[in-house]
Amino acid sequence: MLKKCILFGLLGLFASATFAQKYYTREGKISFSSDAKIEKIEATNKSATSVYDSESGKMEFAVLIKAFQFEKALMQEHFNENYMESDKFPKATFKGMIGDYKSVNLSKDGVYPVKVKGQLTIHGVTKDVETEGKFVVKGGTVSAASTFEVAVADYGIQIPSVVRDNIAKTVTIDIVVAYQELKKGS
Amino acid sequence: MKKIILWGLLAAVIIAGVTGYMMWNKPHQNIQKASADVTVDASTLYSEYESDENAANEKYLGKIVAVSGVVRETSTDETGSVKVMLESGSEMGGIICELDPLSEHKRKTFQSGEQVSFKGKCDGVLMDVVLTRCVEGN
Repeated sequence: MLKKCILFGLLGLFASATFAQKYYTREGKISFSSDAKIEKIEATNKSATSVYDSESGKMEFAVLIKAFQFEKALMQEHFNENYMESDKFPKATFKGMIGDYKSVNLSKDGVYPVKVKGQLTIHGVTKDVETEGKFVVKGGTVSAASTFEVAVADYGIQIPSVVRDNIAKTVTIDIVVAYQELKKGS
Repeated sequence: MKKIILWGLLAAVIIAGVTGYMMWNKPHQNIQKASADVTVDASTLYSEYESDENAANEKYLGKIVAVSGVVRETSTDETGSVKVMLESGSEMGGIICELDPLSEHKRKTFQSGEQVSFKGKCDGVLMDVVLTRCVEGN
């Protein structure tokens, strides 16, 4: 929490100093799916947080592992207990930068494809990742979206050999966030 | 004699199959019927997370938590998912209660300033403490 206070404190400081534009959401949607032999595995999370600073191009995401909802209770249980160990690692985070962020004009309607680079932490393991995404500005509201793949083994997630053939080695992650402007003084 | 063994085997296979199928399709926990593991008010829950996240996780993470507090705001997304934010005594964050999509709800609208209580599963803290699968009442 202290970190958060410092973060917000800094945000506030920058906001007043440079008129920087900060955008945030606490209702980001992150879902993932993997095609398995027996059944498709899918889960959705509707309470991811994200902060984007259009002055520096910095972007952050955080998501609670236990808030992923599966259709099957058993899958949700295995996901939390066996694979993600969500009691030990309750969050996944991303901290990074938008590549050509100056080309994105968030005050003008349009679709802006961008490259994103940063560190993704899942299951306590941090990896450098690079992917593509886009900003969509429509009627003054800013949203961002990206789809990318993650190899389960990269994050130290162990899949028992009995079920290895039934679980895909890569998982497709979908992110859609509708940002709100961070008002000064709030 | 052989016949009895065969029938026995067949029965065993059927039982195993049915059990497996039922486990595979095991329903999600019925939150409405579940009793709360911990009861707490919104500002205490928030300040416990604020002062020591790990200790708060020990106490609340993955548990069914009954939380009471005052509604700050409510939001509904395009899929009909309703979130009620409770006051926490801090401007930085609050308690987000996401209504359970699998339960029937008497109502899905809440007024700011209203006193409410929810029961749901605690998923941890980001900007706010997040409770999912919430139902109203204890």
